Amino acid sequence: MTTTAIPAEAQHAPAPAAKRRPRREREGAAWVFLSPWVLGAIVLTLLPMAVSLYLSFTDYDLFNPPQWVGLRNYTQMFTEDPRYWRSVVTTLTYVVIAVPLQLALALVVALALKGMKRGKAFYRSAFYAPSLLGASMSIALVWRAIFNDGGTVDHLFGTGGWVNKPGLALLAVALLTVWQFGAPMVIFLAGLQQIPAELYEAAAVDGAGKWRQFLSVTVPMLSPVLFFNLVLQTIQAFQVFTPAFAVSAGKGGPADSTLVYTMYLYDRGFVASHMGYASAMAWVLLVVIGVVTAVLFRTSRSWVFYASEGDR
Amino acid sequence: MPGHRTKGFCASAAALALCAVLAGCGGSGESVGGGKVVLRYTWWGNPDRAERTEQAVALFEKQHPDIDVTTSFSGYDAYKQKLATQAAGGDAPDVMQLDYRQIDQYASGGVLLDLGRQKSVLRTSEIDPGLLATGRVDDVQYAIPQGRGTETVAYDVQTWKKSGVPLPGASWTWSQWADTMRALAKKTGKPGATDPGQSEDAFEVWLRGQGKSLYTEDGGLGFTADDLTRWWTFTDRLRREGAVSPAEQTTQLDGSVENTPLGRGKSVTDANWDAPASGFLALVPTGVALAPMPTGEDGTPGQYFKPSMFLGVSANTGHPEEAAQLVDFLINDRQAAKILGATRGIPVNETVRDELGPQLKDFDKTIADYQASLEGKLKDPPQAPPSGDNALQSTFQRDYDQVSYERMSPREAAENYVTEAKAELRS
Repeated sequence: MTTTAIPAEAQHAPAPAAKRRPRREREGAAWVFLSPWVLGAIVLTLLPMAVSLYLSFTDYDLFNPPQWVGLRNYTQMFTEDPRYWRSVVTTLTYVVIAVPLQLALALVVALALKGMKRGKAFYRSAFYAPSLLGASMSIALVWRAIFNDGGTVDHLFGTGGWVNKPGLALLAVALLTVWQFGAPMVIFLAGLQQIPAELYEAAAVDGAGKWRQFLSVTVPMLSPVLFFNLVLQTIQAFQVFTPAFAVSAGKGGPADSTLVYTMYLYDRGFVASHMGYASAMAWVLLVVIGVVTAVLFRTSRSWVFYASEGDR
Repeated sequence: MPGHRTKGFCASAAALALCAVLAGCGGSGESVGGGKVVLRYTWWGNPDRAERTEQAVALFEKQHPDIDVTTSFSGYDAYKQKLATQAAGGDAPDVMQLDYRQIDQYASGGVLLDLGRQKSVLRTSEIDPGLLATGRVDDVQYAIPQGRGTETVAYDVQTWKKSGVPLPGASWTWSQWADTMRALAKKTGKPGATDPGQSEDAFEVWLRGQGKSLYTEDGGLGFTADDLTRWWTFTDRLRREGAVSPAEQTTQLDGSVENTPLGRGKSVTDANWDAPASGFLALVPTGVALAPMPTGEDGTPGQYFKPSMFLGVSANTGHPEEAAQLVDFLINDRQAAKILGATRGIPVNETVRDELGPQLKDFDKTIADYQASLEGKLKDPPQAPPSGDNALQSTFQRDYDQVSYERMSPREAAENYVTEAKAELRS
C-alpha cells in the first residue's frame, strides 16, 4: 500500500490546474452514480438510527410527541421487567441450539457434495432452495401448520402440536432456521474446494484414515471459513424474528417460550406503543451483538488457522 | 472545494430533491380513482360481519355513484396493531372502526376528525345522548358508537342438551357456573368452557360482581394482587380438574371465534361478546344459544352494556364530507341497518332499532332477545379505560399462560401482573 501511495501523491502535487479538473468531474460523476446508495444509507439507515437513539431516551407512544425521560427506559429494562430477562434467556437458548446445529448440518452436506462426481450443481441448488423460500412468511406459516395440533408432526409422532408446548415450541422455531442452511453450506463448499488435494494425498501416504484427515487437514484448513460462518450466523440468530413471529402466530407464546428478543421489542413498540422502550431495547441488542462478535474474534486467535501465517 | 460546485454535484442535489418529491407523493388523503372519490374503510370482525358490511357498502356506492369505497378487515389483534402503525404514520384509513379502549388515545393523538363539524351530513339526533357521549373526548365528538354489546356465555345447544345437565337459567353465580362446567366436562368428556383466567374481560365481570372495578376513576388499578390471585386460583383449579380448557387450547386464543375451543369443537361453551358470538353459528351449525355471564355470590351482576364499537374519521382524510356520509349511512340508513342487522350489536339509532327490532331474524334475534332479557338488571358501565389498558389486555393473557402451563403459581403471576400494570398506567 505505502509504496504505491507515495508516488501517487508526488505525481499529484506538481500537476497543473488544468489536469485537476477532469479528475474533479470524474469524482462528481462517481457521486452521481453513488447517490442512490448514499441517499439510501443516509435516509433509510443513518437517520432512522439517529432518531432511534434519541427515542430510546424518551417516552413515545406514536400519537403524542416524545417526552424526554433520560435513562428510565434502560433502568426499567434491567431492573423492573421480568419479561425482558425471560426474552434474553430465550434468545440465548435459541442461539445456542440453532447456530451449532445449522453449521453442523451445512458442513455435513457440503462435505457430501464435495465428494460427489455427478449432479453436484443440482443438489447444491436443491439444498440451497430452503434458504430462498425460508425468508418468506408463507413457509413459516406452513411450518406452523406442520407443528400444530393435527399437523404432520402430530400425526407422525402422536406428540400433539409442538407450537402449543412451551418445551418444544422454540425447537420448532430453531428447526426452521436450521433447515435454511444453504448460505453457510455454499460458503463451506467453496472453502473445501480451496484445500489443496496434495495435503490429503500426503496425509494418506502417512497412513491417515478419513476421520484423521478430516480432523487434521479439513478442520484446520477450513477454520477461517468456519469462523466466518460462525460470526455471521450468530449475528443473524440474535436478530431472529420472522420464524418466531410466524410459528407463534405473532404472540411469542406459549407461555413466552418463543418470545425472543426482537419479538419482545416488536411487542413493546407496536402492540404496547412504547416506541422509546423498544428503541432502547434495540440499542442494547446492538451493543450485545457487538460484544459477542468481539469475543468471538478474540477466541478465534487460538483456533483459527490461516494458511498464509503457517510458517510463523 | 468551495466555489467548485460541479455539474456532478448539481446532479446529485437534483436527484436528492427528486427523491424527496417522489416520496412526498405517497401521502394519504388525495386518493382519486377515475374521477371518483375513493374512501378507505377498515374494520375488524368475522367473515359473517365482512359479508354483510360488503353488502351495505355496495348499497352506499349505488346511492353515491361518485364515491368508491375500498374496504379491508382482519381479526381484532391484527387490526389493532396495523391501525396503530398506520395512524402513527399519518396514513389512517378515511373511515375506521374503533374500540372503546382506543378512543382516548386516538382522539388525544390528533388522529380523529371532529365529527361535530360534519353535522350537515352526519345525523346524531336519534342516538341516545348517553350512548353518544361515549364517543366524546374533551367535549368533542370524535367517534360515533355503532352498537351496544354485552358479554355472554355462548353454548353449543345440542351437546349441552345431550349431556343431560340442566340448561342455564336467567342467572347463575360463579360457583354455580363452576359446578355446571364440572358436570358438563364429566358428561361430555370435553371441557365445559374456555379457561376464563386468560380474559381480562371475564376478570372484570368477576370483580364487578364483588363491587370492585378494573380501574379507579383516576385511571389507576382498581384491584390488588390478592384479588387477582383469588381469581387465578379459582380458574387454575378448574383447569386442573378439566372443567375448563387446557393450556394448549387456551394459548391459541387470538380474538377470533375460530380459534376458541368452542369454535374448534373442544369445549361446550365460550364466554364472549354477544355480537361476535354470531360467528359461532358457522362453526357449530347445530345451534348456539346465549346465557348471561355469572354474577357475584350475592347475585350482583358484573357484566354491563358497553358501546360495542365506534366509527371514526381520519383527521387527515382528503374527503371529510364523503367520509361523514359513509358514517351516517352505516348508522342511520334503514336499508343499511337491515343488511347489517346486529352484526355490530343492536343498532344505536332508536328509530331504526324500534323499526328493525321485530324484523330481526336468526342470530340477530337471539342477540336482541338476550339483551332484552338483561334490560334494567345491569349496573352502569365503567368509564372508558385508560389508554394503557390496550397493552394490558395481552399482558393479562400472557401472565395467565405462565399459570396455565404451571410455570408460576397464581400468586407469583398476579404479583407480576400488578407490577407491570402499575408501570404501564404510570407512563
